[in-house]
Amino acid sequence: MLDFFLNFLGTTGKKFITFVSNIGHFFIFFANTIYWIIRPPWYFKRILQQIIDIGYFSLPVVGLTTFFSGMVLALQTYNGFNEINSETTVARIVLTSIIRELGPVLTGLMVAGRIGAKMAAEIATMKVTEQIDALETLGTRPMQYLIAPKIIAALICIPLLVLIGNTIGILGGYVIAIYKLNFNPSMYIYATMEYLQLIDIIQGTVKAAVFGIIISMVSCYFGFNATKGAEGVGFATTSSVVISSVMILTSTYVITALFFG
Amino acid sequence: MEKKLEKKIIIKVSEVSKSFNNNVVLKDINFQLLEGESLAIIGESGSGKSVLLKNIIGLLLPDKGSIQINDNEMVHLNKKLKEKILLDLGITFQHGALFDSLKVWENIIFKIANKEKINTKQGKQIALSIIEDLGLQPNILDLYPSEISGGMQKRVAIARAICGNPKILLFDEPTSGLDPVTGSLIDKLIKKAVSRIGGSAITITHDMASVCRIADKVILIDKQTISWSGTPKQMFDSENEKIQKFIKTINSDFFLND
Ligand SMILES: Nc1ncnc2c1ncn2[C@@H]1O[C@H](COP(=O)(O)OP(=O)(O)O)[C@@H](O)[C@H]1O
Ligand SMILES: [Mg+2]
Repeated sequence: MLDFFLNFLGTTGKKFITFVSNIGHFFIFFANTIYWIIRPPWYFKRILQQIIDIGYFSLPVVGLTTFFSGMVLALQTYNGFNEINSETTVARIVLTSIIRELGPVLTGLMVAGRIGAKMAAEIATMKVTEQIDALETLGTRPMQYLIAPKIIAALICIPLLVLIGNTIGILGGYVIAIYKLNFNPSMYIYATMEYLQLIDIIQGTVKAAVFGIIISMVSCYFGFNATKGAEGVGFATTSSVVISSVMILTSTYVITALFFG
Repeated sequence: MEKKLEKKIIIKVSEVSKSFNNNVVLKDINFQLLEGESLAIIGESGSGKSVLLKNIIGLLLPDKGSIQINDNEMVHLNKKLKEKILLDLGITFQHGALFDSLKVWENIIFKIANKEKINTKQGKQIALSIIEDLGLQPNILDLYPSEISGGMQKRVAIARAICGNPKILLFDEPTSGLDPVTGSLIDKLIKKAVSRIGGSAITITHDMASVCRIADKVILIDKQTISWSGTPKQMFDSENEKIQKFIKTINSDFFLND
């Protein structure tokens, strides 16, 4: 019994130490990346490639998810709050939920799945096939050439994606409100505009920027620290998606609390 | 021997040891590479040849010992100077390590394109002039590494290493996985690069035929240390068991006829 207990303590302790040292490593990586981002040279061509990859190619999936979320929101609000149904309530609930929460979070999670996995796999593959070693011997700093463009592009793209996603989400709500719930279009639009607040947009954009940093940093970190072999790449990919998703959902709470708490 | 003493020391490895956790890979390694010399490193797989190479170029830090390249102590040199010294090295990795997001020609001119602006036409021209010597066809220049065969990838990696005419060449198994004809082409190329004024090379290899063709000096890594060193000719008279094992992989009349 004692043996079992000590064993349990031992493994738990070890896991805990690994966990803490991983967090330490991550923050060193984080600081290091910031240092290299602000130093020239900047590889503009690579930043542009990443912007196309992260921003442009994520549009369909972000558009589709936010559009359906807007529709669902309108429908649920209508069914759930039967007594207070009006253009004003539905429009307001759709707008506020999307701009404050659903737009940024859904976009963040979608991009984490799509781009985070891709970034982690790409960098991990480069790591295990010695391409990162090769970069270093060819007069390039992997941090600047490989990592910095991804972080910069994510920081630019995800806020923009969120703005676009928000618009499409609100449009989704509008479509249901008008064509299914038979609301008056101009009243619905008027209500939407009335409740549109700058602070909500700012909050959503701050979230998006934070998610951008989380997704790109976490994915690059796991990719960069991948161990040899195919499992190394697989582990990096899965971990980066799981960890960045969890961090997105945690940080959205923290940011909400900071703004409205 | 006297002639050798006058030659400049290009790379000097002294008392270098390296372990990973409890796995001791290298213990007190000492050797030098002289100007104009071609050195071959042989040893069974897993003996630490690639680890030694990575210590020399600073991708791994030795636990102890010193590594000098052109009289610069590399181990604790600042990053800037280290990078500058590395630019004069042409390195290939065991598994090619071509950038798979770049086309073949972009891979080849990567180092020089980093220093100066090179347009597509110039870049392809430079790449072409290099691959012609390696028995590669011009049509691969616009392909991605994943679209060419393993043997071609190997040669493109060599092209990338020698682009810009570095004075020191470090090749990790450049001929493994190549057919004998292409292998001997690579050997010729290494010889040619070394015979150019000031060129020196370290080649890690399993291929004894290639050792005989290219090396002035051979070192054997076994049980974490250099357990034998000498000229290719001396290998044939060596009592060392491992050397004899390696020798058995070729038939000796090849060497006599060469
Ligand atoms: N980055 C690393 N981390 C841990 N162990 C390593 C690393 N690189 C190499 N090794 C170990 O060092 C030993 C020598 O490897 P290597 O130098 O690749 O052998 P080879 O002589 O075939 O090139 C092997 O046991 C290998 O597992
Ligand atoms: Mg090796």
